[in-house]
Amino acid sequence: MTNRLSLYRGVCLCLALLGVLLRLDAAEPIVYSHFANAGPLNPHLYSPNQLYAQELVYEPLVMAGPAGTVEPGLAERWTVSEDGLVYTFYLRDGVRFTDGEPFNAEAVVKNFDAILANRARHAWLELANKIASYRAVDDLVFELTLSAPYYPTLNDLSLPRPFRFISPKAIPASGTTGQGIVAPVGTGRYVLAESRLGVHDRFAPNPSHWSGVPADADVLVKIIPDPMSRAMALETGEIDLVFGHGQISYDVFGALEKNTNFETAISDPMGTVAIAINSGKSPTDDRRVRQALQHMVDKDALIRGILLGTQPRADFLFAPDEPYADVGLVPYEYDPDTANRLLDEAGWHRAGNGGFRDRDGVSLAIDFVYIGNDAAHKALAETIQGQAARVGIWIDLQGVEEDLFLRRQRDGDFGMIMSPTWGPPFEPHAILGSMRLPAHADFQAQSGLPDKAGLDQAITRALESTDEAERAAGIARVLTTLHEEAVYLPIHYTCLFSAYRKGVLSGVRFAPGRTLIPFEDFRKPGSRP
Amino acid sequence: MTSIPLPIVRRRDPLLWLALGILALLVVLAIFAPVLTPYDPNAIDLDARLAPLSGDHWLGTDHLGRDVLSRLMAGTRVSLGSVLVIALLILGTGFVIGSLSGWLGGWVDSVIMRVCEAFMTFPTFILAMFLTGVLGRGMTNVILAIVLTHWAWYARITRGMVQAVKSREYIAAARLAGGSRLGIFTRHIAAPVLNQMLILATLDVGHMLLHVSGLSFLGLGIQPPTPEWGVMINDARPHFWTNPGLVIMPGAMILLTVLAFNIPGDRLRDRLDPTLAEGR
Amino acid sequence: MIRFILKRLLALIPVLFAVSVVVFVLLRTGENDPAMSYLRLSGIPPTDDALADARLALGLDRPVLVQYLEWLGRAVRLDFGRSYVTGAPVTDHLLHYLPNTLYLAGVSLLLTLALSLPLGVAGAVWRGKWPDHLTRRLAAIGVSAPSFWLGFLFILLFSVKLGWLPSVGSGGPAHVIMPAFSVALMSMCINMRLLRGGMVAEMSSRHILYARMRGVTPGVIVGKHVLRNSLIPVVTAIGMHVGEILGGAVVAEIVFSWPGVGRYAVSAIYNRDFPVMQCFILMMTVIFVFANLLTDIACAAIDPRIRLDNGGKA
Repeated sequence: MTNRLSLYRGVCLCLALLGVLLRLDAAEPIVYSHFANAGPLNPHLYSPNQLYAQELVYEPLVMAGPAGTVEPGLAERWTVSEDGLVYTFYLRDGVRFTDGEPFNAEAVVKNFDAILANRARHAWLELANKIASYRAVDDLVFELTLSAPYYPTLNDLSLPRPFRFISPKAIPASGTTGQGIVAPVGTGRYVLAESRLGVHDRFAPNPSHWSGVPADADVLVKIIPDPMSRAMALETGEIDLVFGHGQISYDVFGALEKNTNFETAISDPMGTVAIAINSGKSPTDDRRVRQALQHMVDKDALIRGILLGTQPRADFLFAPDEPYADVGLVPYEYDPDTANRLLDEAGWHRAGNGGFRDRDGVSLAIDFVYIGNDAAHKALAETIQGQAARVGIWIDLQGVEEDLFLRRQRDGDFGMIMSPTWGPPFEPHAILGSMRLPAHADFQAQSGLPDKAGLDQAITRALESTDEAERAAGIARVLTTLHEEAVYLPIHYTCLFSAYRKGVLSGVRFAPGRTLIPFEDFRKPGSRP
Repeated sequence: MTSIPLPIVRRRDPLLWLALGILALLVVLAIFAPVLTPYDPNAIDLDARLAPLSGDHWLGTDHLGRDVLSRLMAGTRVSLGSVLVIALLILGTGFVIGSLSGWLGGWVDSVIMRVCEAFMTFPTFILAMFLTGVLGRGMTNVILAIVLTHWAWYARITRGMVQAVKSREYIAAARLAGGSRLGIFTRHIAAPVLNQMLILATLDVGHMLLHVSGLSFLGLGIQPPTPEWGVMINDARPHFWTNPGLVIMPGAMILLTVLAFNIPGDRLRDRLDPTLAEGR
Repeated sequence: MIRFILKRLLALIPVLFAVSVVVFVLLRTGENDPAMSYLRLSGIPPTDDALADARLALGLDRPVLVQYLEWLGRAVRLDFGRSYVTGAPVTDHLLHYLPNTLYLAGVSLLLTLALSLPLGVAGAVWRGKWPDHLTRRLAAIGVSAPSFWLGFLFILLFSVKLGWLPSVGSGGPAHVIMPAFSVALMSMCINMRLLRGGMVAEMSSRHILYARMRGVTPGVIVGKHVLRNSLIPVVTAIGMHVGEILGGAVVAEIVFSWPGVGRYAVSAIYNRDFPVMQCFILMMTVIFVFANLLTDIACAAIDPRIRLDNGGKA
């Protein structure tokens, strides 16, 4: 098995190398960097497969467009039945995987077989739980039937994983991809040409991409685990660009923005950095305390201070330009006086002059859990600790290791916990859906709300509703409740960065989602200066 | 043999005097750091972050607006304190185990020596790194890891010295005179050996400080916001590109401190070498 | 000779056994929970079901002794299980990264020897003159500077300011210069001192005095008599330097994003990727024991007075 696999890989590699050799006029590669290798590039699995690489090699039936819309992908068009249960996809004609296999309804069925053989693994994604059956109607028509209506079906299909398509030949004989694949063969704009562990991955353009306009340069992805080294590499020209979230620190980006030798850009909001506040645990089980927390944080100062003003302030859990998210809520303004008043009303009084508050001999302390290694979250937590002290709240910082973070999230063992959202195209439906799962921080944070069961039912009803207006109203009710109960403390929206030396690249732009890097549009004119 | 040549200080050795002066200054800083620091070393001031050198902040501020000078000063206390604890623990463990081994001999000796060899198989830093990884991060575990990786060397040297002293005539004489085993051990063996080990330990302090800061730099050692120098370098890494000074200054403090320990240590070694050679 | 090597290699077995037991026990005590680590690193939400499944899949439901024996049974066949992070066999990955680390360590060791020998000799020959003072000052600073800090200074100077050398990763020979130098400096300085000290002592010894009186030229004295005898402690120390250099390499790999075992192991330690941690420490043990063995053989080659059967040790 292993031998056959490596033989297969060897042949693929040889072909790819031959391809590289033959393209004598090939442009210089675009040099990008990532913290780890692309992984085995299994389109149907998660870590250690890197999202950006899965996006380059594999394609979905429908692609995510701006503001929650979907656009044609491998399916040219689609229809949805009246009852919202049956989706019919009309596939693009003439599409081939890079090993020459045709992409057709049968290939789609085989991929769905492989994905759903491992259904438990995808349970976080509601669509995986809702699929009742599917079949190839004819060579280019695929039909998907759900057990209950689920409005974000198309959004879920557009996600970078698991509903993407690998060549049927690359699916192991067992018919499932849960234990691995034979080789990473997709229909996407790039093929993995070379992977050197810890050194780099090289993606070559797929010359026969169905769009008819193949990318013209290789993408060389160097493995640079740490943001500081990445900044150095950009400065010294060892990489061409940084692109995405967390690639470089806010400080470095701030410096690059001021540096006239570099071209920089910030994307639209793609997700929210929020803190979940535990409504099931004292002292945050009191709504007035939670609201006081909302009023006491000076987000503008925080953003100016540690994010150098590079990220927009978040007033709500979801940015209002996301689907169904603009529900006319009133933001909690920065207002220490209101925070003080709320805390006084809740019975927490300042003991002496300027000290921390207490009630019946218990002092007002809230533990704040975050991942200790995350420099950005650490700075944020330390800042909030300082601001909370001004209104007499002691924030007990607990920068824990990731295992412990996960366990405390799961057990609801926190007063406040970092809870960033995933950004489009997951929002708001996938986040709302996961609020119903006890293993998520959201569930634990909401556990003390007066009608948590009712809230969960409202989410389910909204996700299953086939009536647009009813669905919008349902989501609005959920978001309003969450906002009024002050269970989330949104801090800022997350935007992606891009930065490159002037003249090295052109055409750099952001895609609608957080994970796709549209390398095919980037051009590298001439040789490097 | 029992007396240690203490007058290591020669008049015409300005470098040594400088080192001793710096050492004295560091000790004063370590003891009085809380009173001397111009700011609270952990006080965050976001409006003044990454400030350059100025009258308000002599050495500027870090990424959270904390005063670098104050943190460097407070770091003296953490670094010297942790190294002192480590040195004492290593000395204690190594001395007790080594003496047992050397004094009792026999199977106790061979068992202890096998265990020592097992520990000495590893490069100390890699083993310490692994141990903090397993035990979890934090000051206590760093101290524990470094003690665990170094005690064996001290135990072995102690054993050698004890064996050497044990065979001297005056020990036999004392035994003939009817002294108890324990009495002879404490009076004639423990004191001189401990004296020498103490000096050896001071020679090693610089090396241990490098271990502590190295682990903290990897993020496996002492944890933020403690103002330890290795932690400060690790904290400053994301800002190295824009503010290299934040990396350079704590590193310079480590260099200075280790130098200040090593220079008198070298002089001491020069003085001690003949006597140690005799013992072998 | 062969008997000696065999004996030393056999002695490695109980050491590896003891190390593996200790490591295995340590990784299963305290706050360590392999099942939770496994789920987190695989990106699976830690529901009670998932935790139970993971315990079963990883064999954590059985007594520790049984778990150990199973692990041992696979480990002797060099199967150290799969990484929780990548899902790939641990041995493959570590062996993939190992050559890079050995390359860095090897270049560092070469640098150490290539620079410390001439400098040490120069210090001894011109004792009390400026070369001696210069090298001693340099050595004092070299043994006191944290290697990771030097790495940053090198990057700042040679990559950012001067643009001479690449700052990250591996590739051409230019990539190895800065990391190797920052790793080598400490050992280089120790070695230089050792050699100088040995030579100075040797030069004032009786047989050298006699040789000088017999009219042997100074060049021959230094080259043939002094250097040869003073080299023994230097060679003995190489065993120690290998440890220092490997430790230094781990840190340098982080500073310079060098794709070696150190970087891989540190991220495994961060992540609590237990199979990787276990394999890493055993691999380091083997390397270090081999380095010491080679050192002892080299010592015997230089000095016939050392008989390998006694190990040449106290």
